[in-house]
Amino acid sequence: MRPAPPLLLLLPALVLVPVLLQLPALIHGGGWELIGQFLLAALQPSLDPLVLRSVLTGLGVTTGMALLGWALSLLVGLVLGGASSRVLWRTVTGHEAPACVMRRALAIPRSIHELIWGLLLLQLLGQQPAVAVLAIAIPYGALVARVVSDLLDALPPHSLEALRAGGAPAPAALLTALGPALLPGVVSYGGYRLECALRSATLLGVFGLGGLGNELLLTLQSLQFRELWSSLWLLLAVMLTLEAAIAALRRRWGMPGRFGLRGGQVGRRGRELVLVGLGLVPVLILVAQALAVDPRALLHWQSLPALTANGWGAALALPWPGLILSTLVLTLLAAGLAVGVAPLLLLLVAPWWWGRLLLQLSWAFGRLWPPPLTALLLLFVLKPGVITAALALGFHNLGILGRLLLEGAEATPDASEQALRCSGSGARLALLYGRYSSLARSYLAYGAYRADVILRETVVVGLVAGSGLGAQLRESLSSFAWDQLLLLLVAYAVLTLVGEDLSDRGRRRLLATA
Amino acid sequence: MPNAAHPPSTAVLELRGVRVEGRRAPRLDGVTLRVDAGERVALIGPSGAGKSSLLAVANGLLEPTAGTVWWEGCPRARSRQGRRLQQARIGTLWQDLRLIEQLTVQQNLNAACLARWGWPKAVLNLLMPLDTPACRQALRQMDLDPALLEQPVSALSGGQRQRVAMARLLRQEPLLLLADEPLASLDPRLAAELLALLLEQARAPRALVLSLHRPDLLAGFDRVIGLRNGRIAFDQSAEAINAGQLQALYGQAENSQDLNGEGAALP
Repeated sequence: MRPAPPLLLLLPALVLVPVLLQLPALIHGGGWELIGQFLLAALQPSLDPLVLRSVLTGLGVTTGMALLGWALSLLVGLVLGGASSRVLWRTVTGHEAPACVMRRALAIPRSIHELIWGLLLLQLLGQQPAVAVLAIAIPYGALVARVVSDLLDALPPHSLEALRAGGAPAPAALLTALGPALLPGVVSYGGYRLECALRSATLLGVFGLGGLGNELLLTLQSLQFRELWSSLWLLLAVMLTLEAAIAALRRRWGMPGRFGLRGGQVGRRGRELVLVGLGLVPVLILVAQALAVDPRALLHWQSLPALTANGWGAALALPWPGLILSTLVLTLLAAGLAVGVAPLLLLLVAPWWWGRLLLQLSWAFGRLWPPPLTALLLLFVLKPGVITAALALGFHNLGILGRLLLEGAEATPDASEQALRCSGSGARLALLYGRYSSLARSYLAYGAYRADVILRETVVVGLVAGSGLGAQLRESLSSFAWDQLLLLLVAYAVLTLVGEDLSDRGRRRLLATA
Repeated sequence: MPNAAHPPSTAVLELRGVRVEGRRAPRLDGVTLRVDAGERVALIGPSGAGKSSLLAVANGLLEPTAGTVWWEGCPRARSRQGRRLQQARIGTLWQDLRLIEQLTVQQNLNAACLARWGWPKAVLNLLMPLDTPACRQALRQMDLDPALLEQPVSALSGGQRQRVAMARLLRQEPLLLLADEPLASLDPRLAAELLALLLEQARAPRALVLSLHRPDLLAGFDRVIGLRNGRIAFDQSAEAINAGQLQALYGQAENSQDLNGEGAALP
């Protein structure tokens, strides 16, 4: 008995079974009324000018932080990506070894979530706008660097060899041969990172690093749901606009890279790209000024409390196996929920035209709404614990995966599905057999990558819903136990690096058999 | 226009005054035809004449902007369930076959039964081999080795795929067989074999409507319908077709497209 691809796609949804079985025991009385009020408030957001002004200010700060952090990460990522590319080192020095060293070193900033960076920097530098920007730029820069170096090393070497053989100096040859070929991939990935940056900036705000996130948290905690929805609707509008703009630009610029290039077009599009890039510079400077980001302030470090003598003993005595296990369980549950429930829901609503719209809207909220806030909302009716945390984290990632699944479904040909419909099978079975079959492997491959991201993100809900390494991290942070903190970071880094390796292998296997 | 007062007699397929809008000119205009049980009808005409549109209307994929379609004497069902039952009786052999590449031959054959099967059986089909005897029989009918059942469709040769698609069509047990240029991409031997199979399957109570790009394969059909610019140019028995009619149908196709059927007359 071997499940066929369409069933493989739904297999992760089996985590719903243990989750639903556990759920009744988790529900506590009380909060349902609050949940009802929260949902009702969606229809009547506050239009008070005072509220709107503060929401708009917060929104400006959040998008500004996202934009600055993203731009910085692209810059850092391109430089470090070049520096960890084997092709580059080989061409310039003849050796590949430095590239490997760089790659390994970059694994560390990459493996630590931007929220941890943010909280650490907050302790070191104090509350200032630059903290959030830096917190986004560090892990994002390392992620972009990895993608850039992978892209560089995967490019066909012929044109570079030809230029070198013709006597061109190494830097000029590299730029001419690899630069244009690299561009479509970087633009496409860069756009995706900007979407992520907006989500990260909102999340950082929840933890007091500035912007709309804080507004969301405060209005939720004080049960001012109508004010909360003013923020949410506006944030949704910004996010959907950004996503649509990036998709449009990707179509305009990204496509020439994937399909055959028509003469002249690359040059023109290239010029357009450079113009947009140049236009971004003054915008970034203005944003930095408006946010009062001051790079000089980063030089003033606050002194840390001294380590106590018996600190290491206490740090080692933490319940490590339990912490790690609950982090892993949290990851698996959340990943299963996100990866499996998206196709399941799409299947359920298949017969109704409005079903897809409804899903799109709820998935957009999932993406937008930071997981710790979902966790807080869930805590109105559920007890804290792994399942509650997994539900919150799963909902957020469901939004991301669901959008991807829909995009994938729309991009695959509908011929088989149509043929099934024409022979009388229902909308759901036609979708399952006709569309999911061809979608399964690439979607699951992305799901494997997402599971790895989710592992990194467990810290985010752990801080609120009290489970896993994240919960311990919060305690250690607030008690200034640097030794514990260091060990926790090492544990996180090791876990995410192992997870990354596993998900890479899984992805390669899935794509190889496709 | 259909007359609601007179219930139509039970033709397998009946089109009355069907019109389908196109971008510049209508893709089908005033098409009226009737296919009875046991009839084997060839649909010919130059490319762009409306053959694919007519087949799409006949299998319910396309809803005409004007006119009506009747299957076994019933118009398009209102309810979702009724519609599905209706569709289950219409089998289409697609030009691009539309097999599901990632599934095995057996799963593809069984996909023809999805209209009748409920969810549990549809899901089981994705887990384990179901209805093996019937599937073996379907392959044997097509001169295929039953050992192919476990193969993924993507591993088959072109000729095998064609036959698997035919086997799936028959496993659906349709009353109306539709085929959109099934012979277009086949070598002459394979084309002749497939045509013979299709003609043989289309005995009463079944009926066959098959579109052809080339007019040289008309032997074996009972009736030939010539389409030009979305209108029926002629509809007569296969033996009565003469070269002049074919020349008129195919001649100057490019030039006369904007004239909307110069020389084409309704039967």
